[in-house]
Amino acid sequence: MSTGGAVYDRGYRPYDGILGGRRASATALYRTSLRRAIGLRRPWRQKVMPFVLLAIAVVPAVVNVGVGYLTRDTPARDFSFITYREYVGVSSALLLFVALVAPDLMCPDRRQRVLSLIFARPLTGVDYVLAKVGAIFTCVFAFSFLPQVVLYVGQMLVSDGALDYLRHNTAVLWQVPVAVALLALFYAVLGVAVASLSGRRIVAGATLLGITLVSSSVSAIIVESSRGHGPDVPGHPAALLNILALPLYVRDLVFLGHLGDRSPLSGVTGGGALAVACYLAVVGAGIAVLLVRYRSAEL
Amino acid sequence: MSIVQARGLTKRYPGVTALDNVDLDLPAGRVGLVGANGAGKTTLFRLLLGLSRPDAGTIDVFGIPVADDPIAVRSRIGYMPEHDCLPLDQTAADVVATFGELGGLPVRAARQRASEVLDLVGLDEARFRPVGGFSTGMRQRTKLAQAIVADPKLVLLDEPTAGLDPSGREEMLALVARLATFGIAVVLATHLLDDVARVCDHVVMLDAGRLVTDAPTTSLLKQTGAVTVDVGPAAVPALTVALTARGLLVATADLGGSLEVTVSTDADLDAIRDVVADLGLPLHRLTNRLTSLDDVFVHRPPAPLPPAAPAEAS
Repeated sequence: MSTGGAVYDRGYRPYDGILGGRRASATALYRTSLRRAIGLRRPWRQKVMPFVLLAIAVVPAVVNVGVGYLTRDTPARDFSFITYREYVGVSSALLLFVALVAPDLMCPDRRQRVLSLIFARPLTGVDYVLAKVGAIFTCVFAFSFLPQVVLYVGQMLVSDGALDYLRHNTAVLWQVPVAVALLALFYAVLGVAVASLSGRRIVAGATLLGITLVSSSVSAIIVESSRGHGPDVPGHPAALLNILALPLYVRDLVFLGHLGDRSPLSGVTGGGALAVACYLAVVGAGIAVLLVRYRSAEL
Repeated sequence: MSIVQARGLTKRYPGVTALDNVDLDLPAGRVGLVGANGAGKTTLFRLLLGLSRPDAGTIDVFGIPVADDPIAVRSRIGYMPEHDCLPLDQTAADVVATFGELGGLPVRAARQRASEVLDLVGLDEARFRPVGGFSTGMRQRTKLAQAIVADPKLVLLDEPTAGLDPSGREEMLALVARLATFGIAVVLATHLLDDVARVCDHVVMLDAGRLVTDAPTTSLLKQTGAVTVDVGPAAVPALTVALTARGLLVATADLGGSLEVTVSTDADLDAIRDVVADLGLPLHRLTNRLTSLDDVFVHRPPAPLPPAAPAEAS
């Protein structure tokens, strides 16, 4: 029996598998960005924030289901704390999430000059943009969609008949994912585009929040000073200046086919079309900024 | 067979020509790319990776035109930049595994190979520490590990010994020397000629964007007709006098204890041996003195002057 030890230099083993190409690399970047966004393989402090925000986003659904359960045998059983339409984009937690996570995904790559390593891989600037936007999109979609699932399943279970509930609410089965996807796309493109303009996370996050705050304030001031008060008073085109409201106008079009009655844009001629045009303009501008920014970084 | 072939490669930036009509044929193995700062080394790397487009000329890597398919070229190349480029809040294992995945490795293989290459570069015990807490040497090793994790056929190393202390430099050069034994071709860009002379078997020398030399290292390091005799500092004066008395030409005497003596026949070598023995001196070293890359670089042809600015019409 041998009693002595041995030290082996394991050296280097060539990889004998098949390397993925551009698609595999882009998918890997998306996967890595998604992991970073939700704090996986990161210190616990980085994990807390996404899941706290998810919990906050789920609270209205839980409250609504709870109220439904408590009032199930009373005349108030049809009371709804929040509707599926209102639940899309109602939580400021999503904006806060994007303002924190988008800069965290984008700024270190530029500030720490990681881009030179990333673009030395079989990737293009377009792949980089798609991976980053895709990661934020996935998070925002999940954080918006999961509470809706909780709401739907909960409402169905506390209703008098689950099948009847399902039959009477089939439309939301496509309306919710479509509206949530449009909201997530808007937030993701806006957040990543703003974050791409700075190497500092704090500057990028503050800029995003500042843009939304200023645009909503300016819009509100103009709209309120230009129209009177009352339920039948028409809205004002200046409502389109509120960047954060654009996906909500589009949401109304998905759910209702027209703008909501209490929308600050309701009553404006062609308001729905204008809202869609502004939504597309913001998303298009964001994508253009990103492509220019990372096309030049690649070359 | 050339792994990199460039013809008429030219790259201009505003106010400067980074590469000027360069023709290259780089063989597999370890190639040293030497030149002063601004010689065009990093520009050549960017052109090799397809991260920059030449203003004129072509460049092929493994027979693939970079301009036509930069993605295919990049999937065969590993790159270690000169500057800091690592995400500081991630562990070395995560950094290397991530770049393995970006290089096309499946997730599990990337984790496994990250562990292996970190072991290879001597960071096995530090792989779960954040890169932000690493020394310069450890960061250089991490950069090297990420460059080779996806098993490239060619690795581009830009100043890998920059900022390293002497022992760190020795270890990095030893690692670079080993890469060729793994079947990975190396292009080592540096302004340290000694690094290239020690590690590389082919030298490409650039000066102000122009190609000075593209040749095997051995063809540049020729015998000079002189030998170096090392007998220790105290014995240098006596030996100088004795060799001169025997009719030998002492070319250089330094304070480090060695002499350079011009020799033309074996009899001259015998004479040196006899003189040293007669004086009872310790002979530490008697070697042929070769030209150094410094000699090649110092005696390079002068760069052409930039064209004069047109005179203003008066």
